[in-house]
Amino acid sequence: MPTFKEVEVLVIESVRLLAEDFDLVTLKQPRAESALYGKDGVLDSMGLVNLLADVEDAVSEQFGAAIALADEKAMSARNSPFLTIKTLAQAVLERIEA
Amino acid sequence: MKHIVITGTRKGIGRSLAEHYLAEGWGVIGCSRGESSIEHDQYRHYVLDVCDESAVIEMARDVKRQNGAVDALLNNAGIASMNHCLLTPGSTVNAILQTNVVGTFLFCREFAKLMRKSAQPRIVNFTTVAHPLNLEGEAVYAASKAAVESLTRIMARELAELRITVNAVGPTPVMTDLIKGVSSEKMDALLARQAIPRYGKAADVINAVDFFLRADSDFITGQVLYLGGVT
Repeated sequence: MPTFKEVEVLVIESVRLLAEDFDLVTLKQPRAESALYGKDGVLDSMGLVNLLADVEDAVSEQFGAAIALADEKAMSARNSPFLTIKTLAQAVLERIEA
Repeated sequence: MKHIVITGTRKGIGRSLAEHYLAEGWGVIGCSRGESSIEHDQYRHYVLDVCDESAVIEMARDVKRQNGAVDALLNNAGIASMNHCLLTPGSTVNAILQTNVVGTFLFCREFAKLMRKSAQPRIVNFTTVAHPLNLEGEAVYAASKAAVESLTRIMARELAELRITVNAVGPTPVMTDLIKGVSSEKMDALLARQAIPRYGKAADVINAVDFFLRADSDFITGQVLYLGGVT
């Protein structure tokens, strides 16, 4: 089972690669608190789709876990798990542990 | 080598599609609720129910590990139940909607993610002439395919940004297990409503799918193509 830190590193790397691909200047040097989606986020819905797919792939490759991030829990959560890198990493870890 | 995912490949049109694309040199990834009926070096089979979300996710992850990317998806798997609406149990309605609508949705969702790196990503869904013809006895089946058509049109817009085209083919009755319980009188009456009144063949369906998969068809999306002259 990966640690939170390992998952956070994985998410940061996925965001960095996405930012390079789509030339998202503010996400080229991502940190745990970087806003992703929502009020302060720089990702549009298609950017979020691409990021979630990349993270799911990376989780499968690195940790051997098949997860879906856009699940019922994420959609009904009071606070979106896609707001920042930190909240996304937490959501990933919860689904790996489930 | 290009890779195509086809659901419901154990028999019927799905099997014919798989054999066709294997002969054309594609790597074919099939699935069904039963074991594979196809033996070929470039064919890989998954045993699953298309509406089992976690099984579909597992399959997609495995395909990603083994093939990297997917170029096309044919959502062929489907079930039907010919019955008067007053004689149709709720469990039958749920089963048809689960396989035809939820299954199609789950495969589109999971495999569209694997098509992002394809040069010509294509999704072809399967509908039926029972929907435009409003066939008596097929209320639930036709309604499920109406939902598939709606998914097709809206996903065509949502996935256009990923260059994925999403279309649907609507076969006329083809001699498969899907219609084995229907009387010949009913089938004759149905065929009479087509502009070209004959049973469809697997080759007719393959031809329509081939058209959507062609590289030159990258400006064609959100379309439903009925066979046999049904409109």
